Amino acid sequence: MITHLEHEIENIKRKVFTMTDAAIEAINDSIDALMTLDDKLAAKVIQGDTRIDKLEIQIDDDCVRTLVTQQPAASDLRLILSFLKINTDLERIADIAANIAKEAIRLEGRPRVTTTGDIPAMAATCVNMIKTAFEAMTTRDVSMAAEIISVDREVDELNIQLYRELFAMMGDNPQIMPQALGLIMVAKSLERIGDHAKNIAERVIYYIEGVDIRKENKDHSDNK
Amino acid sequence: MKKIESKALNVYYGDTRAVKDISLQVEKNTVLALIGPSGCGKSTFLRCINRMNDIIPGTRIEGELLIDGEPVYQNKYDVTTLRRKVGMVFQKSNPFPKTIFENIAYGLRINGIKDKYEIEKKVESSLKATALWDEVKDRLHQSAIGFSGGQQQRLCIARTIAIQPEIILMDEPASALDPISTQKIEELIHELKNDYTIIIVTHNMQQAARVSDYTAFFYMGDLVELNKTEKIFTKPDLEMTEKYITGKFG
Repeated sequence: MITHLEHEIENIKRKVFTMTDAAIEAINDSIDALMTLDDKLAAKVIQGDTRIDKLEIQIDDDCVRTLVTQQPAASDLRLILSFLKINTDLERIADIAANIAKEAIRLEGRPRVTTTGDIPAMAATCVNMIKTAFEAMTTRDVSMAAEIISVDREVDELNIQLYRELFAMMGDNPQIMPQALGLIMVAKSLERIGDHAKNIAERVIYYIEGVDIRKENKDHSDNK
Repeated sequence: MKKIESKALNVYYGDTRAVKDISLQVEKNTVLALIGPSGCGKSTFLRCINRMNDIIPGTRIEGELLIDGEPVYQNKYDVTTLRRKVGMVFQKSNPFPKTIFENIAYGLRINGIKDKYEIEKKVESSLKATALWDEVKDRLHQSAIGFSGGQQQRLCIARTIAIQPEIILMDEPASALDPISTQKIEELIHELKNDYTIIIVTHNMQQAARVSDYTAFFYMGDLVELNKTEKIFTKPDLEMTEKYITGKFG
């Protein structure tokens, strides 16, 4: 028999997964809009953000109601606390995707700037990090979640590379400054999405093992 | 849809006014929890709904109590009909010293059901509804007295629902039970809500939060606040409710 609490958790989980799909779609569409300078697609991403904001409020309400009325304990409690935090990360990811879409609209009509640093590949890495974090949650695989934390360092590195490359390009050709600054902003945005994906992975580890990996990492660095 | 309505209801035990001007409404197919410290009038109010207070000498009722819009304290209202419509489960489980089958069949027979096949079907469906069937189907003709406390309480609920009431009153139905049995009773309340309107008195605020849609806070005979349960336990309207549910008084 499914208990009332299990029913509530399933309901929240379904909404979190819906929100995840929507956030991933927003990232993919915003990058497509940027690369093809498709202002209609960019507008779709910006409009879609409202739906994600509403989902965030619903999930927050559901989590609070479940905490108050069902008083979950142990793994159930950790899962709901994780959902509350993951919910905020997903909402921020969608906000960032909307900002990328706005950049796509702003750059429309300007000559394209080609970089060796690959923005779509960086975005694909971020999307993969988010998908992997949720797969780790579903399969309760801590090592899978932990790998995401190291992937985040690769995303950080890609951002730095792109920044250096675009900065140098601006020095050589000041005319491309608007586009180059736009791409720097996009790369930085993707780096922030990577950080949020890492946060999600940390919450997945907390859910599975009851360990706050941020605290462990901090203790480790304090001892160095 | 309004199932129960209380209008300025007062209950006196002799000179003592135990329930003061209670006006509230209970929607059909919802669970209302009554909370409050001992002596606040919540059980007295509950017992007004099936006129259980009538049997206490010196009790006087003022005001109105309506079920489906009908005033149950009117002289012409048949109390037997009322108690068929409004079942009750008590704190201490009280199975009859009979077999499991007879515990349920008894109420059916005194309500005029003679057909053996129909009785068997109703016994089975009641035990299934209370998740007891799988535990007892092979010993239906053994005494119910050997049951655990949790099983006895679920049997009493099965006995109550066998005669298909519309309202179930529960007076601290799980306060004498272990946590697992309590959880089973609470899950049962969630299930029963689909078919019945339930009012539960509980001392356990967490239980009120878990099982009910609405919560009413009683204090010294007054209804202090009635609100959605989620609201009562997150942001009650009144400071007094807040103090009670956060354990600062009472």
